Parts: sequence; C-alpha cells; structure tokens
Amino acid sequence: MTRLSVPMTAAILLLPGAGYLALLFGLPLVLAVLASFGVLTRGYDGGPTLAFYAELFGTRAYVDGLVFSTYLALVPTAVSLMISVPLAVLLAQSFPGRRLFTALNKVPLVVPGIVAAFIVMTLFDRGGTAARVLAPLGLDLPKLVRDDWAIGAVMATVWKTVPFMTLIVGGAMASINRDVVLAARTLGAGPVATFWQIQIPLALPGITAATLLSFIGGMGAFAVPNLLGPVYPLPLSVHMYVNAFERANWGLVAAMGTTLSAISCVVLLAYYRVTRGLRAAGGAR
Amino acid sequence: MAELSLTSIRKTFGDATAVETLDLSIANGEFLTLLGPSGCGKTTILRMIAGIAMPDAGEIRIGGRRVDGLPPEGRNVGLVFQSYALFPHMTVAANVGFGLKMRKVPRREAEDRIAAALDLVDLGRFAARYPRELSGGQQQRVALARALVTEPDLLLLDEPLSNLDAKLRDQLREDLRRLQERLRVTTLYVTHDQSEAMALSDRILVMRAGRIVEEGAPEALYRRPRTRFAAEFLGQTNVVRLIRRDGMAMLPWGEAMPDAQSDSAYVSIRPEDIALRPDPHGPGRITACTFLGPTVEYRVELAERSLRVRQTGSGTVLLTEGTGVALSLLVTPHPLAEGMA
Repeated sequence: MTRLSVPMTAAILLLPGAGYLALLFGLPLVLAVLASFGVLTRGYDGGPTLAFYAELFGTRAYVDGLVFSTYLALVPTAVSLMISVPLAVLLAQSFPGRRLFTALNKVPLVVPGIVAAFIVMTLFDRGGTAARVLAPLGLDLPKLVRDDWAIGAVMATVWKTVPFMTLIVGGAMASINRDVVLAARTLGAGPVATFWQIQIPLALPGITAATLLSFIGGMGAFAVPNLLGPVYPLPLSVHMYVNAFERANWGLVAAMGTTLSAISCVVLLAYYRVTRGLRAAGGAR
Repeated sequence: MAELSLTSIRKTFGDATAVETLDLSIANGEFLTLLGPSGCGKTTILRMIAGIAMPDAGEIRIGGRRVDGLPPEGRNVGLVFQSYALFPHMTVAANVGFGLKMRKVPRREAEDRIAAALDLVDLGRFAARYPRELSGGQQQRVALARALVTEPDLLLLDEPLSNLDAKLRDQLREDLRRLQERLRVTTLYVTHDQSEAMALSDRILVMRAGRIVEEGAPEALYRRPRTRFAAEFLGQTNVVRLIRRDGMAMLPWGEAMPDAQSDSAYVSIRPEDIALRPDPHGPGRITACTFLGPTVEYRVELAERSLRVRQTGSGTVLLTEGTGVALSLLVTPHPLAEGMA
C-alpha cells in the first residue's frame, strides 16, 4: 500500500474544516469580486470591465450611499462604545439590583433589529407615543425618524448594539487579573487612573473586537436605516437591493458589495494591528 | 518607614469569620511574619492594611496616622502579590515607574529612582523588557522594586515566593532579607511556609482560624512553643504525653523529665532532639528508615506509640529496620500549655 506524503495527509485531515470555510465563505467572496469586474457576472457577458466601479463611483446617489453606510457603521459604534465600556465596568461591580439590571440590559439581544426599528418608530415618529405624552406639556419632540442625521436609525442600532458590546467588553474586563487592578490602586492610582491606565489597555482586544463586529454590522445595515433613515441618501445596502431585484444589475451589486467588504477589511486590518501590538507587549489575553 | 498598629480589627464574609477581633503591632523597621495554613485569615489582614479589603470593626494606624477609612492610594504602602500582578502591557521600567507617575514625580527624578530601584534588585539591564519576557524570579524582583521605589511607609508581601521553584525561592529569600536589613523598611510578610518565616522574620505570629495562636522570635517559637498547633506548624515534632510515676514525670521510653518541667502533661520534642543508640534490650524498635542525604529519618516504635527521630552528620551509622534502640534527650523539651490546641 502506498503511504501518503505528510503534506498530503495534512491536507486531507484539514479538508473537513478548511474545505468548508473555503467552499462556503471563500468561494462566494471570490465570485462576488470577480463579478464586480465583469467575470462570471450574472446577466452580463461583455468580458472583464471596470464599468461597474465607474458606475458606482460616478453616480452621486451611490457615493452618498457609501458615505451614509460608513456613517451608519461609525456613529452607532462610537456611541455604543461610549456607553458600553463604562457600563461593563459598572456591571462588574456589586450593587443592589445588579442581577435585574444585567438581565434587562440583555433584552435587546433577543429582539430582532426590525422589531427594534418599529419600537423606535412607534415611540419617536411624528404622532408617536413620546410626542403624544409630551404634547399636553407644550413640548415638541425634534424630528428623530427619517431625519437628515438618521438619529432614529442610530438610536435603534445603539439600542441593539450596547448589550452585545457590553457582553464582549465585560468578558474582556473580567479576564483581567484582579490583583493587577489592585496593585495599581496600592501604587497610588485612583479609580479613574486605574480605569484608563490599566483596565482599558488590558481590555483593548475585547473592545476592538466588539467595535469591529459592530462596525461591520453597521456597514451592511438594511432594515433599520430603510425604515428609520432619511429619504436621501439611502445606504448602499438599499441600493444593492434595488439594483439586484428591480434592475437586475448584478455587476453593480457585486461592485457595491466588494467596496463595502473592502472598507470592513481595512477596519479588520486596523484591529489586527492594534491587537498584535498588544500581544507583543503581553497585554492581549 | 513607620510602625503599624491594628486595634480590635475584625472581618467577616457573610456568616464566615475571616479574622476574629485581634490586635497587632509592628515596630518601625521590624520584619514581622503572619504564618498559618490556608484560610487562617492572614491574607485578609494584609489586604485590610493595604486598603483593598475593609475591616468590619477596629482601627488601623500606620506611623500613628489612622488609615482604615482611606482608599488604597491614600495609604502609602507597597504591596507585593503572590501572582506578582505586574502590568503586562508595560515594560519593566514603566511598571516600576507607575507609582512615581501617579505621584507626579518629575520625569528626570523618576528615571533616576527607577534605575536605582532596578539596580537594587539587580535588574537594571531588563528595564526595556516586558514582564512576559522575564522568568518568575525576575518578575518577582520587578514587583519588589515597584513596591519599594515609592518609599512606602510599610512593605506588605503576600506569599511572594510561593510560585517559584525551591532553589530560586532560597535565593530570593536571602535577597529579600538582605534588602530589608539594608533598607530597614517596616515589613509584614504573609506565608504558610515555616522555613521562610523563620529565615526572614524578626518576629512570627502563628495564626489559626482567624486568631493569633502564638507569637515570638523564630528561635523561641521553634524551640519553646507554648501550643501544640505552633509546635506542629513550625516543622516536625513529637507531641508526647508525660507519664506520672512516683511523683516524677517520665517520657514514654522511661527517661525522667527534669523537675522544672514536670507540671505539664505534654511536651513537644523535635525529631533532631532525640538521640538513638543500638540496644537489643532498648524500649524502641526501628520500623522505618529514610535516608535523605544530609539527614536520616527514623520511625521508632515504642510500647504505646511511635516517634519520629532525625539524625544528622555523615558519621551517622544507618540503623536498619527491626533494630532495637535506646532513646535519650539531647535537650530539655519544652512543656506545652495544657488545653491549648
């Protein structure tokens, strides 16, 4: 019987795991990238081309859509981060009602995004619950739904993102050796200095991972900005839907998808750069 | 440097009492060790002094200043943790300089003090390294330098050598003692290792179940313990019940105790304080012999009990199992206070 070489044996053993990843994740990504350049593009047989990218970056509505998608990724992520990190520290402390508070904080995790969007719409749209409650007091709510700054969409996304981010950041905070934090205190650092100098740097791998996942989710957000966002610009995800199902322009859809993925990849690379620096310093866990 | 005093300190965790009401004081420049088994409350005492655990009652004073209401950063103590607790994202120099940075010491002065502290523990050349690039012993020395660089009133050490191998532990123990003698910083050391306690301390407090059982200088505690617990915790011993016969107190092998010691029912006899002599008609018989290099350990069976005996010296003739032996005391054993565990 012929013995297989070591690399061949390793390849066969890796096949169930790596093969699955390559087939279901790698292949569609490669096909999308190729399609964006006119190769194997559905409904297009004109040969390799940059025309789809030219159309994407030459159309004002699409460029604004790309900027708006990036805005919808950045702003809710930044707001969620500012809420989640102090919240994670707070939830690590012992206080009366902590269990109830922790349980309530997790509620948005089980509520689908579209439901969260409808909750925001019901509460804050013109004639919504909040407006009706405030009206007898002579107060008028600013426009929060379908406004130019997509405040309603940001609110719904933050509501969904905060518990998820708190969970990851809280895990990262909990993994910090408690003695390290106490050592900082005995060396003269107050709670605030300990938070910034010790806890934040040591929890940074978790914080950056949560930020990255939230950002990528925001880049592809569809339902929430479609329901709560402004009439113009529309996020690129909505343009993708329209071009795929109303115009059958699959090459342009592929170019839009590739561009969104490329921006996410840049953020991913930044994440690896930050965490690699920490790992080299021994800070990552 | 300053003296420390704890007055009527008490600490409970829920229903469990970690530290019974106790008083404790350390003189300026003294090296005091809290010695006891796991869970006896010694680390809790240290943490209350550092301010990272709050006492339920009592007063803590460092250099006469009451500190029990202050946060850890307001107490000016240096604490070395069992786990070293170095900041993994900072270099050795940044670790050592952290306390100076928090005290807003000017940069040039801080650099000089960091260099001096690292030289003190012989780690000057490792200033730019990260903790993970150091051995356990080096990490512990960084932790020591970090605790000392701020010139604390009090140095607290929580089992700092317990994660190291035996050889390194001995080396660091000597370094630590030399350093403390040189700096004369008031030091509270917590350990469950009796040899560490004896090698380092000016005074030892033996603890059990949240109470101080006994205290004294290392030699006095080892040679003349008052309690059975201290006698047994500070090395191996034979706690022997004396037999009353004709108004005299006799040891189990028939040797009379000196009159001065005859009031007590029990004595503690260290294995190395018993001499053995081969004697086929003697009261004892060797049932086990273990050669340990510098010492030989014997188990000697008497009529009603067995004793542990240790002999030292390369001239010692090994006695085989089954050999009959006569026993005699090399030093007068110390009586144990009756009724005390």
